[in-house]
Amino acid sequence: MAANGADTTERIKEVIYKTCIHQDDMNWNAWLDLCDDDYKYMIRAYSPEIQADMTYLGGSREHMQSLTEMLPKHNTDNSPLKRHCTVYSVDVSEDGKSASAVSSFVVYQTMLDGINSHVDAGESRLFLVGRYNDKFSIDGDSVKFTEREVRLDTRRLDKGSHWPI
Amino acid sequence: MSARNHAEWIAPPKLAEGEWVDSRIYSDQAIFDEEIDKIFKKAWIPVCHESELKNAYDFRTMTIANEPVIVARGKDMQVRAFLNVCPHRGNMIERRPSGNFAAGTPSGTPKRMTCMFHAWQFDMKGKCVYISRQEEGYQDRLKKEDVGLRELKCEVYFGGFVWVCLDDDIDMTVEDWAAGALDCLAPSLNEEPLEVFHYHKAIIPCNFKLWHDTNCEFYHDFLHYHNRVTGFNDAYFARKNSGFKNGHINVGSFEVQYDNYEGFHSREELSFPHLPPNHWYMIDMFPGVNFNLRGSALRCDLMTPLGPDKVMIEFRGLGLASDTAEERQTRIDHHNSIWGPFGRNLHEDLLAVTAQGSCMNPSAERRNILQGRHENETIHDENGMRHYYHEWGRWLNRSPSNPDHEYDESLMAEALNQPEAQQASA
Repeated sequence: MAANGADTTERIKEVIYKTCIHQDDMNWNAWLDLCDDDYKYMIRAYSPEIQADMTYLGGSREHMQSLTEMLPKHNTDNSPLKRHCTVYSVDVSEDGKSASAVSSFVVYQTMLDGINSHVDAGESRLFLVGRYNDKFSIDGDSVKFTEREVRLDTRRLDKGSHWPI
Repeated sequence: MSARNHAEWIAPPKLAEGEWVDSRIYSDQAIFDEEIDKIFKKAWIPVCHESELKNAYDFRTMTIANEPVIVARGKDMQVRAFLNVCPHRGNMIERRPSGNFAAGTPSGTPKRMTCMFHAWQFDMKGKCVYISRQEEGYQDRLKKEDVGLRELKCEVYFGGFVWVCLDDDIDMTVEDWAAGALDCLAPSLNEEPLEVFHYHKAIIPCNFKLWHDTNCEFYHDFLHYHNRVTGFNDAYFARKNSGFKNGHINVGSFEVQYDNYEGFHSREELSFPHLPPNHWYMIDMFPGVNFNLRGSALRCDLMTPLGPDKVMIEFRGLGLASDTAEERQTRIDHHNSIWGPFGRNLHEDLLAVTAQGSCMNPSAERRNILQGRHENETIHDENGMRHYYHEWGRWLNRSPSNPDHEYDESLMAEALNQPEAQQASA
């Protein structure tokens, strides 16, 4: 790959990893700052039970913005989520203006208040397994998410979550 | 008096019998075992929806009262239910959650249910059609016609839900069992075919009845910011809780103001047939089923008790089979923004019952759990739960308020609002 292509690949990896850090820190605005105005977010899974692709959560950048801004008004499981992500592949378009990436992730939940905090707080549990299928727009040095599909393997979701993954 | 000492804490509350329950009904192993035997093995259970079995030879597997069950659509397009157990060595015949028998399996031939263990095969009517090396092993002592599957009572009813009952002797149809509780939604669900678009499950460390209670009472809307801002008006507080025979209830409708929650919009354009725009009905069926229609999307919860302090809840979302792709996606968004695993309300409900379960583990001291609100059978009246436990008491012959005592219906008169008591005993 040309030097410029390699640079772009590294920038895309950096954006994916920064997103993980921002989401881990629940710094939702910093996450959305990395997203294009036309950004589309989806949490999806295939159900072998009903043999159908499902969308568990979906929304535009604007929708995700309002959803995260409303979080303080909701009762929620405040047990932190930590994303462990590895970028498997980055494909930059020939004109260098767009790219796609596939990453594998697991999310751990470190219990705080979800059950009986005296007993459970501090215990880390595997929460989700899946892949990020991402798309990006590239404009010079600027790389922005245009789409993220969170493709879950985990379908027994127990209490679920209010938070984007 | 403010905080109470131990004796005061465990003393019966100053409410009538039936206006509270003993927390042991949510944690005691012996009571749980009785519930499985006396209730779940006797009741009609909507195990799936017919859209999960669209084609001949399609199947779904599930569990009722610890028994593995398989539902399959035959070549004649009829849906039948069987124990998913091979009559030979008691092995589970089909291990997948769903699929189609038209294709063969490693141990079997196409269009048959085959037990992989010893390759016994059954047709879609449960008839044994093949015993491997039959004559060599059984000579003429045991024949295929002697070893058919155990067929179960099965009906497709109420918008295409597949209902199964383990009890051959049940003397009512699903319609009889529903006793009118489903009537409020029947026009909307029976007008045209429905289709499942959402499925997920949760296993929660609490008793199944705690989830059913939460579905039966709306007083807990204080838990939900969404419901407070989109409801909590005169029409909301006028919604009626109505009890029906066999322990079912339903909650009357009102118009939800979705626009009051930032980022949410009216669901008017995709209302189910015959449903006024943005209306919301709820039906809770004994012993652990919920149908919930919010304007454009139907939700169904099915509770499968796994232990006194453990329940699996399957959540289904349904729309109209005639939906365009765009309509379907909108329905999915409507459904999951509130009821999905990452939605606004479901997480809060599951969080609450998990916290209840934490306080009612099997070794915890008994507590009095109150259900004594009377508000003219409207939305924050707890008559729905009282109606349920009236039925529960009759099925187990245990008092919900003191499960060591036999159930005495006469003690419930004050707790049960009179019209509902009349309906229940009709």
